Amino acid sequence: MNNLQQQSRWFENLLEANSDSLNLRAADGLSGIHVQAQQALSDLPVPDRRQESWRYSDLGKLYRQMFRISGEAFDALQETDIDQWIYPKQDSYRLVMVNGQLAAHLSHVSGLDKRITLDGISQLSATERQGVAAYLQQHGGFADDTFGQINRALMQDGFYLRVPQNTVVDKPIEVVFVNLSHDEQLLSQPASLIILEPGARAQVVERYLSLGSSEYFFNGMTDILLREHAELRHQRIQQESSQAYHLSRVGLRQQAASIYQGLTIASGGAWSRNDIQVHLDGPHAECDLQGVYTVGDGQYNDIHLDVAHNAADCRSQENFRGVVHGRGKAVFDGRILVAKDAQKTDAQLSNKNLLLVEDAEVNTKPQLEIYADDVKCSHGTTVGKVNPDQLFYLRARGIDEQQAYRMLCLGFADQVLASIEDQAVRQHVHAMFNRLL
Amino acid sequence: MLSIKDLHVSVEDKTILQGLNLEVKGGEVHAIMGPNGSGKSTLAHILSGREGYQVDQGEVLYQGHDLFDLEIEERAQQGIFLAMQYPVELPGVNNLSFLRESLNSIRRARGEAELDAAAFMRLAREKAALVELPDKLLKRDVNSGFSGGEKKRNEILQMALLEPQLAILDETDSGLDIDALRVVANGVNALRSPERGMIVVTHYQRLLDYIEPDYVHVLAQGRIVRSGDKTLAYELEEKGYGWILQEHAA
Ligand SMILES: Nc1ncnc2c1ncn2[C@@H]1O[C@H](COP(=O)(O)OP(=O)(O)O)[C@@H](O)[C@H]1O
Ligand SMILES: [Mg+2]
Repeated sequence: MNNLQQQSRWFENLLEANSDSLNLRAADGLSGIHVQAQQALSDLPVPDRRQESWRYSDLGKLYRQMFRISGEAFDALQETDIDQWIYPKQDSYRLVMVNGQLAAHLSHVSGLDKRITLDGISQLSATERQGVAAYLQQHGGFADDTFGQINRALMQDGFYLRVPQNTVVDKPIEVVFVNLSHDEQLLSQPASLIILEPGARAQVVERYLSLGSSEYFFNGMTDILLREHAELRHQRIQQESSQAYHLSRVGLRQQAASIYQGLTIASGGAWSRNDIQVHLDGPHAECDLQGVYTVGDGQYNDIHLDVAHNAADCRSQENFRGVVHGRGKAVFDGRILVAKDAQKTDAQLSNKNLLLVEDAEVNTKPQLEIYADDVKCSHGTTVGKVNPDQLFYLRARGIDEQQAYRMLCLGFADQVLASIEDQAVRQHVHAMFNRLL
Repeated sequence: MLSIKDLHVSVEDKTILQGLNLEVKGGEVHAIMGPNGSGKSTLAHILSGREGYQVDQGEVLYQGHDLFDLEIEERAQQGIFLAMQYPVELPGVNNLSFLRESLNSIRRARGEAELDAAAFMRLAREKAALVELPDKLLKRDVNSGFSGGEKKRNEILQMALLEPQLAILDETDSGLDIDALRVVANGVNALRSPERGMIVVTHYQRLLDYIEPDYVHVLAQGRIVRSGDKTLAYELEEKGYGWILQEHAA
């Protein structure tokens, strides 16, 4: 059997191994999406290096293992097991998803405006659940991707947020994805959806944590629809163990004059990839994607951005920085597409990498594809080392070399973090990098 | 405190210092003057441990020990401070955090207790007032977007906080207007004490009106070609360097 056959067999096995473990009640209303995704899968190529978007990915490690959805109960898990909440309980709404499934006993949404829906998809009525699935089937991201369809074919939970017209969610929403793997190799694959109706506003912080000692595969997707004038602040913070295989997707659609402010913090794992797909479908929409990723010894960290300016007068900014502090591999692939009618597009893409070790690999590939003629677009990427003058300056003030390196790395990352208005998030991430670097 | 004997230094095979001698004792202020490119910054850098210079000959003793045995940060921890000619910007590194990290690193090395945030803030504010550095610059990133004068004040602020044994000021006066010059000089004068040595590198006699040196040295052609008291500075101001160089060549 050749490689390709082995790999496509892996996806079949993954499906087989897991279709039985779907919780039927929770999956009620989802059979349509399950069937459709399974059919789609047979026509999709298996991701490997021959495809441009997987060119730098070593998926071999992943394909050598098999992962299973856990049926294990997690009632014993307590609030205190979850490391450092960003917000005090009374200042936020909380959802906890353990192994891709809602843990109601750790969640906290009391006081939430009744017109707002914030819950696990498994907790919705079958009809509501079907509505969510219908959106994902028609408009969800990554439909042409095998991992994307695997997520749909085995969909049973995730979080759902819907904010009605002109409504503001009065506190930030902190969603924590806990991956709790003991002896088995766990598959965790939430499918979430955020819909902000016209003029609605919300802030959602997603965090990804590891508890337990085994390897696991997180294959999560969050789809987002921002209708006219809606505003979402969306921070995604990955703080997982070196056992994690983490594939995290955002499929974002923006209508006229909507605003998205996104932050992606990716601290790696064994293998980590973040894909963000954006469709700017209405005029005057604004999309701001900021991010910091880190790569330590043996880590692989991959960021793929795909921003489509489909309408005129939209603005997007993509600003990612990577700190490569160990012998690992960083990939940044940022693509901006400006459609023929998307005149007056303003798109600025920047990727800067700080390389602290000699034998690490950084692949950075910005791509602008522009079919309109009246646009303001730019891109720039750098891969550089620590500036020796800066290092000397710190050391000449009595700061030892290692600490001086750390301060410069943190400073490099902080130039992205400085754009975060939310001080709690900023401090959380700063402290996390402080421990990590 | 500092004893430099027959020091020869080169950069990328180019000889810059060739046989420099200098003795600095506690309480003394030495001014070093000299034409552009004569090696003044090279001397300042070699004392603070900057990489890229090669010592070809000679020795430097600091408080009786071989200075070249010490790493950059160890020199700072043992009391050597260089106010740089071109302070570098550190985007993303907050000035206050940097100052605190620096002070506490030095205190740790000396076996002193670290200052907590409140005690440090009080001290930083007090010293910042001394060099008239606005509060908002304490909150910004180190030297980022600072004017030339603000960068120099930030250097003197660091000196005031760290209270070094041996302070080396490399053209701290260049690019300063008269007010800034007075502020910087006040900062320096406030630190003068019987146990502290200072080397003030300058291009102009002007600074020496504010900081009165005990000795003035002329550095040219890689060594000190003339030493005297502060009247030498006036002479240089009047007649330039040419006559000394000629005398020295003769
Ligand atoms: N890093 C370096 N690489 C090459 N040449 C240098 C370097 N640093 C200094 N020099 C040279 O050494 C000489 C002395 O420089 P410097 O010490 O900066 O002089 P000063 O401070 O007196 O103006 C100059 O000719 C300068 O060009
Ligand atoms: Mg100089």
